[in-house]
Amino acid sequence: MTFDPAFALSIVPPIARALTTTLAVTLLSCVFAALLGFGLEITRRSSKPMRYAMRFVIDFIRSTPVLVQLYFLYYVLPVYGIKLPALVVGVAALSLYYCGYLAEVFKAGIDGIPRGQFEAAKALGLNRTKTVLLVIAPQMLRNIAAPMGNYFISIFKSTPYLAVIAVPESFGSALDIASDTFRYGEPMAVVGALFLAIAITLSFLIRKFEARLALSAQR
Amino acid sequence: MSFADVLAGIYQGFGVTASVTLLGMAYAVPFAFIAGVLQFSTRGWPHAAITAVIEFWRSSPVIILLYAFYYTLPGFGIRLSGLAVGGLVLGLNIGGYGSQAVRAALQSLDRGQAEAGRSLGFRRWQILLLIELPQALLAMMPTFVNQFIQLVKSTALVSLITLSDMTFRAKEISQLHYDPVKVYTGLLVAYFVLCYPATIVGRWLERKVGAGRKFAHDV
Repeated sequence: MTFDPAFALSIVPPIARALTTTLAVTLLSCVFAALLGFGLEITRRSSKPMRYAMRFVIDFIRSTPVLVQLYFLYYVLPVYGIKLPALVVGVAALSLYYCGYLAEVFKAGIDGIPRGQFEAAKALGLNRTKTVLLVIAPQMLRNIAAPMGNYFISIFKSTPYLAVIAVPESFGSALDIASDTFRYGEPMAVVGALFLAIAITLSFLIRKFEARLALSAQR
Repeated sequence: MSFADVLAGIYQGFGVTASVTLLGMAYAVPFAFIAGVLQFSTRGWPHAAITAVIEFWRSSPVIILLYAFYYTLPGFGIRLSGLAVGGLVLGLNIGGYGSQAVRAALQSLDRGQAEAGRSLGFRRWQILLLIELPQALLAMMPTFVNQFIQLVKSTALVSLITLSDMTFRAKEISQLHYDPVKVYTGLLVAYFVLCYPATIVGRWLERKVGAGRKFAHDV
């Protein structure tokens, strides 16, 4: 079996079409993972027992494979009568897994803010919610743009996992073509090249964004 | 089937999980050091070439590379066992990340160290091997521990190329005795037990190196 360029070209359109699902899953998982991660981090800082409880939750999430978490949600939830579409389970699994990592990123971001900012917020009479949303979050985002961006790329690169629960994303579509035609080389090369191109473009954009943030911080 | 039976069944796949991890480490560590040092010390096209190799391994989703290597190479007359493919792909992926830790640690060193080496009449490779790398080792340790945890977790993917690791065993048990709650809880526990000690060591090392800061303040 050799590599057939004409066949490779012919399968680009269906795999590229499935990219819509891949990108939608990525976007949704990034948003939910960031929101969950921020929630975890703020809860962790609310009291001492919460600090230990949330640390355990974060450690547990970070110490188990995303594939196993995906299987867990996919096979265990229906036992308790919770039947969700595969796409929803996939987004939930990626959000849950990466929220553990993003919580640590938020931790570093908040720790990097000067103490005076918290005191100033208190002196202005801002309550906890307002302090977090108006004072801390905007400054924290500048500190964490780069690591957060890297995790967003990781989320994008983890979307092929969803093929194992039959979500019709690009890797799943490449696998379908492979099993229909008994040719793995071309579908894997096409889907691999697409992922590589998008991941490299995203990391380039993040570096640009990071440089721009650093410039605006200097002004 | 009791929970203990489930755990015992999953444990039968531990040998494969451990073998893939060890083989992965055997590829990852030399690759990380060679690629990191080359990226740090070369200029011009050799720098561009090694950066491209690192980017390829870091930016491609592991699951796609596993399928591509496992199902495509035999078509080109290269027959590798699942274990060899798993170790190679996971190892070089993790090594790609590790190389950035090596490069960053070398870059973080004081320039005076290399100058002192030069004034003592050391050659460039002697400065690198005898002065810079030993100092950089401590700085890169936390990242290496984190990468090790990532490697152990990624081994779950080899179940998709039909290697009988812990995840594969769990799926078999689940299909045999329909009890997903016990099986997938057991699998999560098994990976947690494997990875959590390394998480603790990683955190301790981060504190030691000073990369991780304590809570500066609570919101």
